[in-house]
Amino acid sequence: MIIVDGTLKRRLAVWLLATVGVLGAFLLIEAYTSAHRAADRAYDSQLEAAGLTIAEAIQWQDGRPIVEMPAAAFQILATNQQERVFYAILDATGREVTGNLDGTVTPEWQRAAQTGPMWMTVQHYGSPIRLHGRELTSAGWESLDPVQIWVGHTLSGRDALASDLFVRTLTRFLTMVLLAGLLMLLAIRTALGPVRRLRQLLRQRDADDVSPLYARVPGELYDMADALNALLARQREGRDALLRFTADASHQLKTPLAGLQSTSELALQSERPDDWRQALETVHRSAARTSRLAGQLLSLARLRHAEEARLATVDLSVVLRDTVMEWAERDIAQHHDLGLGSLPETPVRIQGESWSLREMIGNLIDNALRYTPPDSEITLSLERQADTVLLVIMDNGPGVSDDLLGRLHQPFERGGRQDTQGSGLGLAIVDSIARRHDAVLSVHSAPGHGLWIGIRFPLLPEET
Amino acid sequence: MRRWLTGLVLLCLLPLGTWAQDRKPLVVEAALDRQVVAPLLDAFKRAHPDIALQYHDRSTLEVDRRAREVRPAPDVVISSAMPWQLARVNEGLAQPVDSAEARDWPAWAKWRNEVFGFTFEPIVTVYRLDLARHMIPPTTHADLHTILTTQQELLRGRVTTYSPGRSGVGYTLFQQDARYSPRFWDLVAAMGAAEVNLEDNTQAMLDGLTEGRYWVGYNLLGSYAMHWAQDHPKLIVQVPQDYALVMMRMAFVHRDAPHPTAAKAFVSFLLGIEGQRILAGSTPLFSVLPGVIGPYTAQRLRDQVGERLYPIPINASLLAFVDPLRRKAFMTRWNREIRILEP
Repeated sequence: MIIVDGTLKRRLAVWLLATVGVLGAFLLIEAYTSAHRAADRAYDSQLEAAGLTIAEAIQWQDGRPIVEMPAAAFQILATNQQERVFYAILDATGREVTGNLDGTVTPEWQRAAQTGPMWMTVQHYGSPIRLHGRELTSAGWESLDPVQIWVGHTLSGRDALASDLFVRTLTRFLTMVLLAGLLMLLAIRTALGPVRRLRQLLRQRDADDVSPLYARVPGELYDMADALNALLARQREGRDALLRFTADASHQLKTPLAGLQSTSELALQSERPDDWRQALETVHRSAARTSRLAGQLLSLARLRHAEEARLATVDLSVVLRDTVMEWAERDIAQHHDLGLGSLPETPVRIQGESWSLREMIGNLIDNALRYTPPDSEITLSLERQADTVLLVIMDNGPGVSDDLLGRLHQPFERGGRQDTQGSGLGLAIVDSIARRHDAVLSVHSAPGHGLWIGIRFPLLPEET
Repeated sequence: MRRWLTGLVLLCLLPLGTWAQDRKPLVVEAALDRQVVAPLLDAFKRAHPDIALQYHDRSTLEVDRRAREVRPAPDVVISSAMPWQLARVNEGLAQPVDSAEARDWPAWAKWRNEVFGFTFEPIVTVYRLDLARHMIPPTTHADLHTILTTQQELLRGRVTTYSPGRSGVGYTLFQQDARYSPRFWDLVAAMGAAEVNLEDNTQAMLDGLTEGRYWVGYNLLGSYAMHWAQDHPKLIVQVPQDYALVMMRMAFVHRDAPHPTAAKAFVSFLLGIEGQRILAGSTPLFSVLPGVIGPYTAQRLRDQVGERLYPIPINASLLAFVDPLRRKAFMTRWNREIRILEP
């Protein structure tokens, strides 16, 4: 089930927006303050120029400052934005010699202006104005008193300039964001190109085409393509195994059936009842063997393709004892020494399916009976370890060579022997059942020392 | 007579009840002769029958005092004392007018979209024909200076001009004259030597000229003088040929106007095509707008006297004229110069 969880575009867009939002907030705050600073710098220099122009016109006469206010100073003050203008000339006692500030300049400001030029934004009759004050010591014939010049104007020019600067920055920023967004869309399209190509490649494949992919992919997609290829390889293996199994199974069934056909043909050509009886006995044996083979194939197929095992708590030692007892009584076991080895005294509880466990042990015993000479010893035992239990079956038969050991559990593998009546499916079934129980099958053998097969089951934790 | 008729027609047209109750009042304090602007006021009343216009014609000083002190404030303040008008606007006593007419008004004739120069009145020299019989009449400032020095005996006591101390308009004109040429002070000295008579307003000078007391008047308002000269053929109006100052009446809507809507409608009417056309056709106040056609337009004046018209600029530099120190310095110099050639 594939669930669509958003899109890459949306994820990238969210990230871009978040980045742009945070960065943009900082940037715009900075732009706002710096726009106002720039506007203040530009207009403050006008205030300074106006102040200097007035300073130039100050003269002393009869111990008092006399100023013929220069008209230009007012135009500089008003700027091209036609600000309302304010000015005052204060003598050493703080008295307004001339001007229109009407005592707005406080004694504190005057003291501050004594140390250097002053710049401040203040409220004047309800509207904010920018004020600049400077003290001037000019020489006269009678007096050397300092004079303070205060000039100011309203802020509409500054505000207009600042907002103009700010709007420009804002426009640039928004254009950049827009371009970045468009580029991002383009980049996503380009970046997702290989994915689209891969998709196309997969869509174009035939349903049963499981050959590896050949595609050029960027590094980030290598893992996915590699995983796809691994999946295809496993499917290929599975399909090959299935085809092999089907071919082998057909072949195995074909041989006894052909025998049956030829035996019955021979019997039909004969007129003698003795031949008929002998043929019937051959047919009976062969049919029994074929039936067993079909049964084993069926159980193997069921095990391999069955639904999940229905596991329950099972005492493995009870299952083992019952199965060995049952087999010991069968005819086929009469020529062998089949017996139980050591069993733990306490119950060995595992998570398991008792029918398949019985089937597994039966197959192990059956295999041992068929591939060892008569009078061989076959011993089954259980060995409890830390959190596992090991089921062992060993015989003192001829064993198998090392190069065969790894293949023993594959279907139709007879351990290099053609002299038995086995189907070669026994260990394959054992292996399948072991897998169903999360158990591990291991086989050891040394030629002349018999075969050792161990199956390690995980133990259920002890009940407290 | 015409106003009478108009009033009668209005009375007939409007039902008396609504006329009394629904009309919004509008108070205009103006330093502008009612008789001169009557056609404009009548046209406004016709265009806005719902507004009850109260037009008060006062001196510049009184208009300024009322704008500053009297409450409830007047709605519209009109004055020819340009520096004082600008000072009041700079104090924040005006409010912006944002009508289409105000926006389209030429930038050189307005300040902050709050105060508007809506007339274009040249400053002229007026002389009697008697003067022309004895000497070549003056066409420039230099000519005037020449006849004042060469014909001193003949002209003694027969020269008149504004009193800078008692008239705001006169003071402004002399300040502006002094800005243009230092020889202005020679002219002042020469007028002083000719025992110049200082008058409070143009009308007083025109009366003196008409009666024959004066032969030549300097710095008269051309609007009044031209209007007057039409009925008094013995007076000749001369627009100076070297340079002629141009005075503009300035109007603003008071910040505390009780009826701001009506006030803005009035100012917009003054600045609109209709108002300016009446200004150009039916008053001698001269229209500022270049597109307006009539006998009294800035354009026509320029065509007649050339480009030597120098409007007193409507900008912050006017504030220098009302600076008390500068005014004091100017008056000190005036008083010194006017007596400097006394025997």
